[in-house]
Formats: sequence, C-alpha cells, structure tokens
Amino acid sequence: MSERSRLSRRGLFRGFGTATLVAGCSGNKATTDNPSDGLAVPPPEGAEAVGPGPTSLTFELNGTAAALEVPPHMTLLDALRLQLNVTGTKEVCNRGACGACMVLVDGVPRNSCMLLAHDVRGAKVTTVEGLATDGKLSVLQQAFVDNDAMQCGFCTSGMLISCSALLARSQGQVPAAADIQSAIAGNLCRCGTYPHVVAAVTQAAGKGA
Amino acid sequence: MADTSKQKLKLGFADNFKVVTLEIPKGEPRPWDADTELTVVGKPVVRRDGVAKVTGKATYTHDIRLPGMLHAAVLRSPYACCIVKELKLDAAAKSPGVGAVISLADVGERLLFAGQDVAAVAAATPEQARAALAAIVVTYEEQPHVVHTRQAMQPGAPLVHTTKVKARKTEGDEPGASRQATQKGNVRHTGSDAKKDVAKGLRAADVVHEAEYTTQVHTHSALETHSIVVRWDDAKHMTVWSSTQSIFSVRGEMADIFGLKPADVHVITEYLGGGFGAKFGASAPGSRLGFIAGTLAKQAKAPVSLLLDRHEEHVCTGNRPDSIQTVKLGAKKSGELTAIHVVAHGSAGIGTGAGVGRNAIGIYTRCPNIKVESADVYTNAGPGAAFRAPGHPQGAFALELGLDELAAKIGRDPLDIRIEHNVHPVRRHQFELGRKKIDWDQKRKRAAELLARKARVLRGVGVAASIWGDFGRKGAAAATVSVGRDGSIEVQNGVQDIGGGIVTVLAQIAAEVFRRPLETVTVKFGDSRYGASVGSGGSQTTSSVTPAVRAAAEKVKAQLAEVAAKELKVTVKDVSWDSDGTAHARKAKRSITFARLCQRMPGEATTATATRPGTYGHHPMKFMGGPLYQIAGVQFAEVAVDSWTGEVTVERVLAVHDCGRVMNPLTLRSQINGGVILGTSYALMEQRVMDRSSGLMLNPNLETYKIAGARDIPKIEVALTEVHTGANNTGAIGIGEPATIPTAAAIACAVFNATGAPVRSLPLTPDRVLQSLEVVPT
Repeated sequence: MSERSRLSRRGLFRGFGTATLVAGCSGNKATTDNPSDGLAVPPPEGAEAVGPGPTSLTFELNGTAAALEVPPHMTLLDALRLQLNVTGTKEVCNRGACGACMVLVDGVPRNSCMLLAHDVRGAKVTTVEGLATDGKLSVLQQAFVDNDAMQCGFCTSGMLISCSALLARSQGQVPAAADIQSAIAGNLCRCGTYPHVVAAVTQAAGKGA
Repeated sequence: MADTSKQKLKLGFADNFKVVTLEIPKGEPRPWDADTELTVVGKPVVRRDGVAKVTGKATYTHDIRLPGMLHAAVLRSPYACCIVKELKLDAAAKSPGVGAVISLADVGERLLFAGQDVAAVAAATPEQARAALAAIVVTYEEQPHVVHTRQAMQPGAPLVHTTKVKARKTEGDEPGASRQATQKGNVRHTGSDAKKDVAKGLRAADVVHEAEYTTQVHTHSALETHSIVVRWDDAKHMTVWSSTQSIFSVRGEMADIFGLKPADVHVITEYLGGGFGAKFGASAPGSRLGFIAGTLAKQAKAPVSLLLDRHEEHVCTGNRPDSIQTVKLGAKKSGELTAIHVVAHGSAGIGTGAGVGRNAIGIYTRCPNIKVESADVYTNAGPGAAFRAPGHPQGAFALELGLDELAAKIGRDPLDIRIEHNVHPVRRHQFELGRKKIDWDQKRKRAAELLARKARVLRGVGVAASIWGDFGRKGAAAATVSVGRDGSIEVQNGVQDIGGGIVTVLAQIAAEVFRRPLETVTVKFGDSRYGASVGSGGSQTTSSVTPAVRAAAEKVKAQLAEVAAKELKVTVKDVSWDSDGTAHARKAKRSITFARLCQRMPGEATTATATRPGTYGHHPMKFMGGPLYQIAGVQFAEVAVDSWTGEVTVERVLAVHDCGRVMNPLTLRSQINGGVILGTSYALMEQRVMDRSSGLMLNPNLETYKIAGARDIPKIEVALTEVHTGANNTGAIGIGEPATIPTAAAIACAVFNATGAPVRSLPLTPDRVLQSLEVVPT
C-alpha cells in the first residue's frame, strides 16, 4: 500500500466515479458549501455535465478572463498553480487546514485546495497577485510591509486574502485585535508573525483600507 | 603575532561598560563598539523582500516552472520495519506521461521506518507521477518494529539498527556539542558533560529533588515542504533550485553525488518557506531528495521538480527528538545548589542527535557539581534533525521546572535561586529587568492567593533562561561590494534569506559604511554564483556575513578615499566623509559629492571582496569550550489555568534577550516573536503521535498535528539588552535560536506556580493538567 492509495478527497471522488462528481460541479454557482450537494445526486435539470476528460472552464481571475481546460477533479489550487502558472497562492497542507492557498471567490475567502476548479465557473477569483492596483500596493499590502508582517512569506498570500476580506466586511471600522485574530485563525504561520499581522491590519483599517 | 594590532574598544551593556584591549587582525576595519554612533544600522528598516512577498512575486522552489519540466513523486515504505521482497518498475515506466523511474531500495533490503524511500518516478504532471507510483509492484515482509522510546530501551526490544550508524551533522547542529558514542541494544550513549562530583554534591544536600520529565517529538513543519528542482545544463553542469537553509551545502552534496565540480553546480534559492533546522544539504534527513531529482532528471533528459507533500514532510524530513530526563537536584536549606544531575534519553528515530543541550551544564554554574548524561534511543521512525536550538528547549524544560520544584521544597523564590547561581552579568541584568517589568513579586503573591482560595481560574508566573554561543564563522562568507560609476552600490553574497531579514541588514551595513541612502544599495543574494556563504543555522548568519560585507565595503571606501584625495589635492589621511557620503578635505575648504567622486573613479566600478576573521572578543562572558561570547536570554511567562477544564492559556511572555549590537529592531522583533510562538506551540499543542501496533504516525497533517494559530499565542513583549562584545567588526550576534529556548520551560514553571502541581510532560495538554491536579486518574 502506498501513502497515496489512502483515502483522500480526490481519491474519494475518483472512487465514486465521474458520473456522481459531475453533479457537484455543474452549473454556474459554487455549491460545495453544502455537503449534501454533489454525491449520488443527478445533475439538476438543464445543467450541463462536465467530464470525464478536461473540460473548458472560464472565470474571472484578478480582473481578466481566464479560459482553460481542466479535468473535473482538479482543485482550483492546482489549476492556478499548475495550469495557469499563477504561483503566489501556496500549497502547504492541501487539506483545508492551513489557509495558505486562500483566494477570494466572489469576495469570500476560500481555501482553493478545497474547491474544484469547476466550482468557480463564472466567478470572480482574486489571488494575492490581484490585490495591488496598477502596480500600486493596496493599503493593506503596504501595512504588511511597514509592520514586517511576514518572515519567510509562505503564509503571506493567504493572510492577505483573509485580512482583505475582513477589511471589506468591517467597512471602514477598525477591527479589534481579537477580531483580526479570529479572521486569521485559519491561516497558519510557522515563523510566528501573527502579532505583526494584527498590527498591520489595525494600521490599514485606521487608514481607511 | 605581528599580523594583529591591539585596539581599545568600549564594550559592555546597560551601564556596565569598560575599555577592553583586543587583538584585531590587520586589515580588519576598527570594530563598531559602544561609542560608535550609527545612522542606518540599528534602525527599524522595512525588509527589502516585503513587496515581493505581499504581491506573490517572490519565487520559491515550489514555484519554479521550466520548459519540459517533469514532476517527481516518491514511493515510501508503508511499514515501520520491513524487508523488500519484490520491486518491479516496468508497469510504472509504461504509465502515461512517465519520463523516468528509479528504485531507491534493493530487493532484500531492510527498511527502517514508514516513509523511507523505495522508488521514484518523474512524469509530465504530478497526477501522472502519483498514478505511476501506484503501478509499481512491490511486496514487503513486515518485521518487528518499535516506535516508542521507552519500549525501545527495554531489553529484548526489536533492534532498529543491525549495522553501525554514522551520525549526520549539519550547520544546524550546535558546534562542539557531539561526542564519541557507545552502543548497547537500541541505546547509544553519547557520553556526558560533567564538572566535579555529583554524587558528592547530592550527599552534601539538605534537600534532594528527583523527578522524571518528558518531552514529545516536534516536527519542523515549515510551510514550504522540502523541495528541489534539478536541470542538467549539460553532462557536467547542473542548475539546482532548492528550498534550503544552506545553498552551499546543497552545492557540495550534489557535486559529491554526481561527481561534479562544486563550481559547476549552480544553486539558486531566491526565497524559502521556512526551514527551522531541517533544510540543510540536498537531501532531507530521511529522504535522498537530491539524488532522486538529479537521477530522474538525468534519465528523463528533462528538468525534474520534486516537492514533498505534507505527509512526507512530517515523516521523513526531520524532527526535534523526544526526551525522557531524570533530573536530580541537591540544595542546602539556604537554597545553595550542591548538585545538578541529568540523565537524558531521547529518540531521533533511526538517526542520532537526541541530546538535551547546554542548559543544565552551562547556566547555573555556581552549582559546583554538575553532570549531564545523554543517550540516543533508536526507534523505527524518521530521523531527527537540528531544530531551532537542538536539544535546548527539552533541556531547559526539565532543568527549569526541576529548579522550581526544588525551590518550592525549600521555600525559596525560584527567581532568586536562578540569579544566585548564574554568573553571566548580562543574564543577571536580564533577570532583574524582567523581575521589575513583569512585577514578579506581586504576581507570585497573586498566584498564591488564587490557589489558596481555590479559584477556578488560577494564574501563575514563571521564568527560564537560555544559553547559546556566538558561532559566527571565520572565512565562511565571502562578500563582494561594488560601487559603480553612477554611484550605485551593490552587495553580493550567496546567502539565502530564510525570513530573518539578512538581505535587508546587508543593505544597511553598506549604506552605513558609505553613508549613502538605502535605496542606492542593491543586494544580490540567494545564488551560489554570488560568493560563498554560510547556512541559516546555528544563529550564525548575521554574525558571519555582516562583518564580511562591512570589510569589503570599507576596502572599497578606502579606494574611493584615494580618488577623493587626488581630486581634493590632499593626502588620504586628510579626507573626511560627511553624512551624505560627500568627501571633504579636512584642512582645506574643498569637497566632492559622492556622485561626482564616483564619476572620477578609474574604472567602471570599484570593487572589493572580503571575509571575516575568527571571533576576537567575547566580553563580558565566554561560552563553554571556546573563546566565543555566550548569548544570554531569559523569558518570563504568565499563564491562566482553568482548573475545571485543565486548559492552559499563556497570557503574556516577556522575552529579554541580547544579540550583540542590534542590526534592525523591526526584523529582530519578528524573529523573537517567532521564537516565543514556536515555544508556546511546543509547550501546549504539538506532538507527533505514533501508533504502537502499526508503527505509523497518526497525525501527519496540519489539522491533527496542531500548531499554534493567532488565537493560541500570548501577548509578547520584547526587551532587548544590547551588548557590545567585541566579537566582530559589526558586533552582530545571533538571535534565532536563543529566542525559542526558554519559552516552554517558562510556561511550565508558570503552570506549576499557578496550580502548585508540576506537569512534567510536554505538551501541557488539559488531560495532563487535570491529572496533575488529581481530578482525573493518571
């Protein structure tokens, strides 16, 4: 038995066969939030079946249209990193436990390793590469630099995604340290940069980010 | 010797300064001392790599994409111990997309841990590589195994090694900390550190405290897994991208494996996602990554990327060994220590290096009789590796908690006992400073009150110390500094920036020497072509590289001074520099700006390369076994313990550290925060769980192997006690390791203070706390 042959998310999908999978990734809306979706449910009426081979997929990536051919079982993380060569989003645990692969899907921070690429069909996806505007850092990015809110930098893109979403939700109010800590509770950092991340978000919120 | 000169330097700390005469090698710039005022060094400069990291542009080994690149995957042993009976690669070789397949184990070979290399493939996509692994036909015959340290020590336990073991050493290991070993069964005795006679010391004691302390296996869990990309440029040249803490150790190992000249192996590590001691050399401690990627690339005639997954990272890339420590402490009723005796066993899996550091032998040295005996215990688990202060956090935990228990037995304040037995003046200063800042006496009183009235939430405060050496290395880093005709300054050194901020500090050094704006300095790093450098280990990077950069910059500046003297028509002696790098003639009222001066230089650039000599000073306190400065640090922890649930919350850690001259307080604080957070995580949450019957790791991921998140950490206060040691020309000393040594120990001491019941095993999980309170059975 190899390590790889153990039960895994994608292994599970493969085990159930493509027919059951396609139901979960058909249609225009990401539906994986609801665990009852997807398995052993026939495609909704009028929905287009996807797979089993690579199938075309379009979504908006950082403000530009992305069109690619991906198999139905490929994660959004793999599609970004391997198909599109957008590598700012990092793979660390590949099981939704660490937040390193976070991206915004229609403004909501999501672990891209826990989404299938076809889940984001038609959605707006923002990665760390999409946070700056015309080469100018966002207020939050600048605050990360100013407060040294990074060391090795491998958690940084996921942290920025979580914090950007928090600032969007707080709508100009300055979140308390505990709010920021909660917002990044799903983002693991091994260098121990959390205090500086909290400082950076506080500063950015104070500047109206 | 004639090639040194005596120089008087003002050295010391706080308000304890003195003029010390040191022998400085000729050609060395006069070392910066306590009287030197600097304008860029020592200031909170933002890191240079900040923008690349917040925009996703920083390229890590995981991100390398080359034309035609294949993806490798490794088949690993599924058993804790087994013999390979059959290994057939043919089907894998025919699998779609496969470019190469290699075996990494021989039929008949005995594999020693679950996760050991068996075979590897390279294919066009990672998925195809994994599918090809599944097509490898392999049969194993399971053998008896032992994965728990105590079990492995029993007579009759399955023998892990049937052949002699060679100890693996890296730059992450503490220099001078290993000795000759003798082996019996699975136990390899690695000798002892001792002074005088502990048996006599224990006989002379009025009170003896004896207890056993245990610590867990701790995996490095760097976010970027071990990874390497190899491209053969031709039969004799290779380019390697590696997630490594030591570019030159990768170069050396790849040259050795493939019979190449080191200079023909080009290694690039622009960025790496953490290392913590496990990323030295081209191989991981438990997997031959360099060999695998290089061989697959050669066979497939294509570049190969080998990135481990999280499971592999936990089982075969190193860990902090566990420990079982029997501590015996003797003291007079007065509190005077008469003996410290530690007997430590620990398992680095199939590897070596499970010592417990220098804490017991090196810190409370007023105790006359000390002995620390240590032994490696082999188990069928992935090999250990250097991990941020190898051995020290384990050793600190047992010693410091033991001291607190002893102090409680004799009714003395444990902080007083520590101060009375420590001889390092900086550490004494740190203890006293911390006592005031944390309000120690009040906090201890409050702890006793809460305990007396059986409050649900108990609170306590504890303290522990660190010891480390200034391991800045002679001659290891060669830095090149170049000033161009356009006035731009370039620093080149092949050092990797693990995240500590070395690249930023090197720019600060050059800016300081030339008195030029930081923006005019470029630093080229992370590439073996930029000149020899050290590994990011042993807390030696800043103290090894900054003096080389300063020496090279000063050489260039001396050449520029000659140009200036000519232009200003004075002698070189009469050239002085003002705060923007303008050269003045001291006696005449003539000057030349830096920009104009650079235009007058004879060539396109003025360039010099330099290295650093051996450490020349260690004021005010020497590390054991050599003329090196002993780095001091103490940490105080405040905890709340819920006596109903057993949950420990670390509310505050005060970290008091010295690191020589502070280069950059902003990035320094980041490193200290990181040390404290790692230590807190080790104290409360992390542990590798091995299944006794299958011999497998049960939590090889990041959801059941718990590392501290943002809500699990204390409020951290950093107090820096800057010391001018005279060690080198910049005065830099390391901090990476000292910052994590005392954290878990201080937390454990604080829990003991809160509850009155010691928890003698890490991590301090709720079940253990409740057991110590005797509310649940042990």
